[in-house]
Amino acid sequence: MSVLETQAQKVRDSAKKLLADATAQTVIGYADEGVDGLCVPVFITDVKDVGRLVWNRRSVPNLASYLIGRKGKTAIVAKPCDARAVVNLIVENQIKRDDVHIIGMDCPGMTDAAGAALHACETCQVNTSPVFDERIENAEVKPVSPEKRDAERGLDENLARFTKEMEKCILCFSCRQACYGCYCQTCFMDRGVPDWHPESPDMGAKMLYHLGRAMHLAGRCVECGACENACASGVDVRYLIREVTGFVKELYGYDTGLSLEDQPAMLTYQPDDREVGFLGGEAHG
Amino acid sequence: MADIKKETMRKLLAKLAESMTLVGPSDNGKVVEYKKTDADSVLMDDRISYKSPKEFYFPQTEKLLTFSRDEAVENTDVPPTVIFGAKPCDLEALRVMNAVFMEGRYADPFFDRHMSQNLIIGVGCLKKKPGCFCDELGLDMEFSDFCDIMLTDTGDTYKVEHLSEKGEKALAQLPETAKVTCANKRTAKKPDGDVIGLSADIEDITLFDSVNWSDLTATCQGCGMCTYICPTCHCFEFKDVSKDGCVERYRCWDSCIYPKFTLHASGHNPRASRADRYRQRVLHKYLYVKKNTGHAACTGCGRCLRSCPVGVNIKTVAKAVMEVAK
Ligand code: SF4
Ligand code: SF4
Ligand code: SF4
Ligand code: SF4
Ligand code: SF4
Repeated sequence: MSVLETQAQKVRDSAKKLLADATAQTVIGYADEGVDGLCVPVFITDVKDVGRLVWNRRSVPNLASYLIGRKGKTAIVAKPCDARAVVNLIVENQIKRDDVHIIGMDCPGMTDAAGAALHACETCQVNTSPVFDERIENAEVKPVSPEKRDAERGLDENLARFTKEMEKCILCFSCRQACYGCYCQTCFMDRGVPDWHPESPDMGAKMLYHLGRAMHLAGRCVECGACENACASGVDVRYLIREVTGFVKELYGYDTGLSLEDQPAMLTYQPDDREVGFLGGEAHG
Repeated sequence: MADIKKETMRKLLAKLAESMTLVGPSDNGKVVEYKKTDADSVLMDDRISYKSPKEFYFPQTEKLLTFSRDEAVENTDVPPTVIFGAKPCDLEALRVMNAVFMEGRYADPFFDRHMSQNLIIGVGCLKKKPGCFCDELGLDMEFSDFCDIMLTDTGDTYKVEHLSEKGEKALAQLPETAKVTCANKRTAKKPDGDVIGLSADIEDITLFDSVNWSDLTATCQGCGMCTYICPTCHCFEFKDVSKDGCVERYRCWDSCIYPKFTLHASGHNPRASRADRYRQRVLHKYLYVKKNTGHAACTGCGRCLRSCPVGVNIKTVAKAVMEVAK
């Protein structure tokens, strides 16, 4: 049995136990029921259905946002990045620690239908779950490569790249809906007053949306890549957010969703915080 | 039918593009999309674009009129467009759109302008792509007559047939040596097997409670992307924008998947949950449009199931609804 299949069997065994002894009312995991081998989210509530649960390199979607608003205790099959999302949902008081049972998967990285590593997985920094109730190990998972930040670009070059990505965007908001962190009841893009969204997919509206979302994910993005995986238009949605995540790390030494005790970078203030984090503060450098 | 080389087809497209905008399947480096392109780079293989070509006859945003206190001027400026490489599912979808916009109580002048200006060149599919289920909707993946010219891909050449006078005129612009006269004679084949469908006689309200919509759609994230890329989704809203002392009125795509779609000014939302909204999507496609026009508004192009980030499958949902409706 392959290592992944062993992990899958352990997921099923665990789900069976959790449901049978009523530790959890629902297990959220993956079923091999999508087009082109994509594993789709599945909600298992009955022991007799645990056979639908799978785990493989196409277990792509981030399941964390399904936890918001759920009643009863829920177990979640979590890739390490998804577990970070769960941790941050707890830190941001969207769900309670006691309401969730994290099945933390050691993760070999996910692929697209053709078997190529997903963009986010190529640069993954965390491939074992930082917080879990049970860990399902995979001895083949290698330590991660040191962080690669995109090289600094000049303003013109940055704008040219951003514009090129935005040309592909159809402003469908799928990236927002796929993001665990975009749980606002009414997104700024959906507000009537002020009219953020001119209802026309022009450059201005697209840039406004992506810039706004990037700022809202500062110190909150867990680098799961769900946004870019969701984008049917092939936009490199995450490229701005990666930059912002890099700044947060550089300025505050903070990584999102690694610990339940950490104070979120954007929700705390220390007198010695660098001025560059404020509007009109020192120039970046 | 007559054969012409793909290279000759490119020449014809280049010729047509002198006076019209050419759109067709193009590779944006990551995915195949429908966009403005040129005769040299338009794709002539069997790949299907992730979104349908509907934006070229029902644009994502379209200016309808400009008005002030004194006068209103309708926008009649529609760029004549060659839509190249539409698949049979897209053409059948166009038939549905045409029924919706043109055959009801009102005819839509904007849609009409696009349809009369556009030249539509269809191409039959060589094989089903993952997720395609046109056959399960009773459609022929190789042929649809709802176009001006229909092509059949035979490798380096296309078999060509025209289905309208517009198509015939366009073919007359082929370089001398390749001139073809090739009126269409065939009709679409009916595939074997059961067709997914609901009877138009069903009382819709009976399906509201008897189907377990929450379970069927539990994983939908409510993004609405499926409605944007679908060739038959046609819901819209209006938006007024003030400009230079006048008001410009736009028609913009909307989506039943968005909570704001049915939000009342009072704050009440009759379709409060995602399940309510997805129910609308499915029943609109398989029942309401059928009641109104006789056609189901899903042609099985498979785009929504291929692109849904969480793999929500309208075919599975439609079949589950059929079971209940039996
Ligand atoms: S912004 Fe993208 S990568 Fe970051 S948490 Fe949201 S979905 Fe994941
Ligand atoms: S983009 Fe910002 S406002 Fe919109 S849902 Fe995401 S975090 Fe909330
Ligand atoms: S980046 Fe992609 S998913 Fe996000 S709004 Fe644009 S097209 Fe939609
Ligand atoms: S079915 Fe899929 S693509 Fe459509 S709104 Fe739901 S999550 Fe988005
Ligand atoms: S509902 Fe889905 S399969 Fe049917 S026509 Fe629309 S995109 Fe294609």
